[in-house]
Amino acid sequence: MSGTHSTAQKGKAEEIIDTTLEGEDHASSSEGEEDTAEHPIDQNTPSTSTSHKKKKKKKSKVSKALKALKGQKEVPQAVVDKVLETVKAKHGETEGVDENTVRMALDHLKIMDVAKGKTGLMGKGRKDAGDHKFWATQPVPQLGEEGPTDDGYIEASKPREEVRQDPYPLPKDFQWSTIDLNDPNQLKEVYELLSLNYVEDHDASFRFRYTAEFLDWALKPPGYHKEWHIGVRVASNKKLVAFISGVPITLRVRNKTFGASEINYLCVHKKLRSKRLAPVLIKEVTRQCHLMGIFQAIYTAGVLLPTPVSTCRYFHRSLNVPKLIDIKFTYVPRNQTLARMIRLNKVASIPHLAQHGLREMEDKDIPEVAELFGKYMERFDMVPLMSVDEVRHQFLSGIGEGERVKGSWKGRREKQVVWSYVVEDPQTHKITDFFSFYSLPSTIIHDPKHNLLEAAYLFYYATDVGLRTAGNLDEGEVNLKLRLGELIGDALIIAAEAGFDVFNALTLMDNVSVLQDLKFGGGDGLLNFYLYNWRTSPLAGVTGAGDRDPGRGVGVVML
Amino acid sequence: MSSEYTPSLAFHNAAAYLSNASSLSKVSNDTKLELYGLFKCLTVSSSPNSSRPSIFDFTGRAKWDAWSSAGKTFGNRLVDAEARYLEIAASLGWRDQPIATPPSLGKKGEEEEEIDWDDESPPQNRGTGAGGGGGGMGATVSSVAPPPLGEDADTVHGIALSGDVAELKGFLDAHPEVDLNERDEFGYTPLHLACDRGNTIMVQELLRKGVDQNVKDADEFTAIELARVAGHEDIVAILEKPDS
Repeated sequence: MSGTHSTAQKGKAEEIIDTTLEGEDHASSSEGEEDTAEHPIDQNTPSTSTSHKKKKKKKSKVSKALKALKGQKEVPQAVVDKVLETVKAKHGETEGVDENTVRMALDHLKIMDVAKGKTGLMGKGRKDAGDHKFWATQPVPQLGEEGPTDDGYIEASKPREEVRQDPYPLPKDFQWSTIDLNDPNQLKEVYELLSLNYVEDHDASFRFRYTAEFLDWALKPPGYHKEWHIGVRVASNKKLVAFISGVPITLRVRNKTFGASEINYLCVHKKLRSKRLAPVLIKEVTRQCHLMGIFQAIYTAGVLLPTPVSTCRYFHRSLNVPKLIDIKFTYVPRNQTLARMIRLNKVASIPHLAQHGLREMEDKDIPEVAELFGKYMERFDMVPLMSVDEVRHQFLSGIGEGERVKGSWKGRREKQVVWSYVVEDPQTHKITDFFSFYSLPSTIIHDPKHNLLEAAYLFYYATDVGLRTAGNLDEGEVNLKLRLGELIGDALIIAAEAGFDVFNALTLMDNVSVLQDLKFGGGDGLLNFYLYNWRTSPLAGVTGAGDRDPGRGVGVVML
Repeated sequence: MSSEYTPSLAFHNAAAYLSNASSLSKVSNDTKLELYGLFKCLTVSSSPNSSRPSIFDFTGRAKWDAWSSAGKTFGNRLVDAEARYLEIAASLGWRDQPIATPPSLGKKGEEEEEIDWDDESPPQNRGTGAGGGGGGMGATVSSVAPPPLGEDADTVHGIALSGDVAELKGFLDAHPEVDLNERDEFGYTPLHLACDRGNTIMVQELLRKGVDQNVKDADEFTAIELARVAGHEDIVAILEKPDS
């Protein structure tokens, strides 16, 4: 297909989509839905943030500061000073926090690019005016808005009959298609669309390659709705060219609990990028959620959209050092050689807890794991609440096919996407700990030697140790940190044995406390967490928030 | 390393566009230099084939540096260098419109469906970056943040790391007293570092200067052992037969 044609068509297509975008961003008002009676779900109280108009007048300090930054290459002294001051005020004089470190950290975070609008926080997500226009129409906190004094929804829920009944219009030649993931052919179509067109890193070296088994696992939790698996096809040949999905999740955010939709895998074919399909997909999945009585959502993005509830940073633990160096995933530090780096990153050959009750999780462990997990997650501000069925699904339905060797910790089964382990106390036979990780490989885009990066990602975990010594907080924290080091350290050993090249973790839950000791290194990727139609003040992620330590605000791991 | 890379038609189109684009006159020197460096890498070789011009030749030196820097950034990943070139060109108003495509004979309306959805080559006017067409929604692909560059660029160890042989020559001319077997603060000689990082030409140059191959680093490794562990077979071969 010639570029000429697409260019010629472009104006037309955009026009069509713009109608959806602008025209019914006030879908509600134009359709007279806004003034209808409110039907708040019990838990959903409206947030008491100051009114929208008021906020608009107040020119946000952030945007002013960012404006001042434009046109400069170096991070200005004033910014460095401000950060230093903040860090010192919060944590006192901290060892290793000096001007240079701060400058380096800011450089790494590419704060200048953010200021210049080249990127969101990290990643090369140039947001054009259209995207901002779109998000300005959505029930999300706008950038620069002050935190709410009380948590709650932004737009009230409405009864089913008041929800828009027709799908949003697509550009001519495209049509909506509900994807049936139980049909292997349709599952494969989604897999193929994503593996060629989904998220890449900032210099297009790596692209996520979610496997079909992974998608089958991630998109079909208990109570899933097939209406939330939404595709766009070319009308003439039915080729799948865009996708978005939601799965049900029960979220607790601080002290409020509500049903929500976990939105993920928004993907538009590379050749359709200019057509602004993403906003229509987001609106359509929102509509489908509304039809099911769900009015809140959680989603993540590498780019900065209005407005993250928290931002976490990726950390990486090298397992297969030579390969990671080859593909430029990591670098030999100035004070090391590859030989030394290999030695320093070598993990033990047997998990340390193998002699103390560590084994793969089994069906019989589900009730105990569910209880342990629920209790442990009380530590964090934003967490999923899982039923026993959900625990079974998350930790056991993706363990692949084939024999399980009793008492063995090793291995990788055919089609395995999740690895779940428990520690059973040898005396009491109680489950005292559990941890899990999942497999998410990436295509290595240009490399003569390697084509797949095998990455394991830390998933959920919980431990009874450390929570036991509740009376003495400090002692509890020390014990907890030690225990998590043992558990996640053993996860590294298991992952290395199963053939993973790298083990990744975000700065969420209690991860921050063990990353350094376990030799994780900071990544160049950040992940922003967003809530749709819900206001709450910022949650601790890459930095602390309020009296929360870094990480401990976020307890949701998005697949 | 000489360039064996054959740039695509789109690249030539973009280069032709830029050579007489009025938009180029408003472009910063930095961008022009980047374009120059990428162009040289893609059409000549991945590093300049002359020594670095003197400090008095501002323009020549800046161009040389841009070329050398593009070569270091992209190394043998010239596909990426081309993508970067096209990206800049696109930002300056160039649009990829392959001349090879005949004008459409088909009916209007069906034209759009002629897109070859199964053709896996990325669209060339936005070759790199970004996520999923969803404005980056979803998880993030992250890799280890690169270390800060050029912290000790003005030492013989820093130069050995960079692999810039011309820089080494210049440095030695200015500092003839430098001991090439000297260890840095971490216990590595320049040869250790060049062998470990796989800077073959630098290794050859250091050998030519008569450096000692048998120095051991803090882990008791000699240079050849480091090269072997790192899988730089060409360097191992050179060290085994230094005379060849």
